[in-house]
Amino acid sequence: MLNVSFAGGLLGWALFVPVGFLLDPLFDWIGHSLLLAPSLRGLWTSLYNTPIIPLTNFNNTVVLGSLVFALVFAVPLFFALRWAVARYRVTVGERVRQSRFYRAVTASKVYNVYKMFRP
Amino acid sequence: MSVKVFRWRAIGPLLVLFVLAGVLWWLFADAIARRESQRVGTQLLGARVEIEHLHLDIANGRVLMRGLTIASPHEAFKNLLQADELVADLDVVPLTEKKLIINRIAANGLRFGTPRQTDGRVAAKSGEGVAGRVLAETREWASQFQIPVLRLATGKISIDSLDPRRLSTIPAAAALGAWADSSRRAWQAAFDTLRLGPTLDSASATLERLRRARATDLATLNEARLAVDRLKRARDRVTSLERSVKTGAADLQAGLAGLDSARRRDYGFARSLLKLPSFDAPAVGAALFAPAAIKPFEQVLYYAQLARRYMPPGMLPRATTGPSRVRRAGEDVRFPKERALPRFLLRSAELSFLLHPTSEQPQRYAGRLTGLTSDPALYGRPMLFAATGPQLVVGAMVNHLRDIPVDTGGATLGGITLPAFEVPGVPLRLDPGAATTELGFKLSGDTIHARFAIRSSNVTWTRDSALANTTIGGLIWHTVSGIANLDVEARLSGALHHPDLAVRSNLDQAIASRLRAVLGEQAAAAEKQVRDRVDALINDKVGPVRARVNQVQTEGQEQVAQQRGRIDELQKNLEQRLRQVLGGVRLP
Repeated sequence: MLNVSFAGGLLGWALFVPVGFLLDPLFDWIGHSLLLAPSLRGLWTSLYNTPIIPLTNFNNTVVLGSLVFALVFAVPLFFALRWAVARYRVTVGERVRQSRFYRAVTASKVYNVYKMFRP
Repeated sequence: MSVKVFRWRAIGPLLVLFVLAGVLWWLFADAIARRESQRVGTQLLGARVEIEHLHLDIANGRVLMRGLTIASPHEAFKNLLQADELVADLDVVPLTEKKLIINRIAANGLRFGTPRQTDGRVAAKSGEGVAGRVLAETREWASQFQIPVLRLATGKISIDSLDPRRLSTIPAAAALGAWADSSRRAWQAAFDTLRLGPTLDSASATLERLRRARATDLATLNEARLAVDRLKRARDRVTSLERSVKTGAADLQAGLAGLDSARRRDYGFARSLLKLPSFDAPAVGAALFAPAAIKPFEQVLYYAQLARRYMPPGMLPRATTGPSRVRRAGEDVRFPKERALPRFLLRSAELSFLLHPTSEQPQRYAGRLTGLTSDPALYGRPMLFAATGPQLVVGAMVNHLRDIPVDTGGATLGGITLPAFEVPGVPLRLDPGAATTELGFKLSGDTIHARFAIRSSNVTWTRDSALANTTIGGLIWHTVSGIANLDVEARLSGALHHPDLAVRSNLDQAIASRLRAVLGEQAAAAEKQVRDRVDALINDKVGPVRARVNQVQTEGQEQVAQQRGRIDELQKNLEQRLRQVLGGVRLP
């Protein structure tokens, strides 16, 4: 099982869903280029005729395009975000932790529920 | 140090998730499957598909469907078919490959053409999707047929104004005139480039010197032979130009013939403005029955074209619009693979259906459908359908195994009470009664051959009261009212995009002869008048062009012939003088 911050996951989901909508034409183009590339036809044909795999809808241009885009940008995004989080912690983070809102949230029962999902 | 493979704190929530998914499946799977089946069916056929009850029994690979209704894509308040119950046996394993393989469907209580309360057409109204596009295409295809109209309401012939701009002969004549001028210039330029003058002058001078030369004057003899060679080459060039002039002249003559064709077209166009009633028996048949005869062809073509879209031949990847969702739909690309299962396959369907369901003694029939698949090349066998019964024989084959698809079908249906209809252009209503209908259809590649026939021996005619007192109306009524038999046949043949339609009936000759007797002289006079008007408009333009074309042609041919004659004469004189001087001796 992978350790993932539940809050981080929710934040990422909220941030990147609109980005996904915006980039759909790009994903469509990427998926179309890949799925209809003659050199990759053998690979896609094998995957398409393998049990379970077609259920992932990989043969949809937007699905495949967004997957490939995510894979390509995952590593640079990881390093960029790690740097950004470190910067956040030393600059803004401490002030947020001292804020009344943060202290009110951490004192509530909701925070106890959140802690159950914390890695 | 031990490695933790599982985080036991996460297993609990996962188990809860699985249990929740199982409960949701148990509660909603049938409803979701029913809704999706309705949605996909509606999208595929372009008409509303409704299912009252659907139950998935995945463990036993069985689907039970009750109360299936498929609306007609063409008629607003009519169903294509209804089925009381359908039971399908599925292969479960291919579902993991997202492939639907149905080994057998048993359908009971099928009924066709039943009425419905709401408009079930979808593609006809939205025009979207594959069905919408195919429907629009077949409608456009059906609208191409020029059906003659019988205008019997008043019996008068009217002449509309004839607009010269709509005559095709005038622009054709202008174009031909320009072409003739262009040919004249091109031939003159080609003739000038031959540069025959110096060659002929030089040969003439050589001939003069040769006349005074002796056999020992070798320089003059040699010069004479060179002059003959130059003349031969010049003649070859003239021959080449002559061929070009001949070809150009033939093209100009073809242009003149084109003017005659354009004039005939203009006669036809002007005649169409007259709104003349047609006196030809085939045209009468087409006017009376073509609108009704085209409909079955249009409907069969719609289903044939849908089959071609959903069952394409070949094994290449195919992209289709993806399912609609909040995100962009994108395209779904399918990758067929040799010796793999098709995406959809119905191996066999046993159909049991009723005809005349509302009568006291409905007739029960049985049919069988095999090999309905989305990938015919993978399945390797054509789709076959057959149904038989006391008054019904139906057979169809959809063969999309090779690059050129072939769709054939035939049906004979007896004892069907067809609805009464107004005969177009005639003040009559025809009730065919119980009739026998036949339909034959073959679409091979882009070539169509189809036949539709109605036969009835107890037709009933009703007179339109509004037109009962008109002369023509009365004549037509007396002509057909005593005829109890109806025999109509429509044939369609040729290239799919522009086939020929021929309609005949046993009424054609009788109605045509009556019309000819009453309106013949009036129509002939009007026709002559309009031909004279067309001639008056185009003769001023065509006459000069015709004269110019002939002049250009004659000038070009005369010029070539004249130069060729001079060359031949000079060559002949030179060769003759050479022989005289040499006295038969051949010099090396």
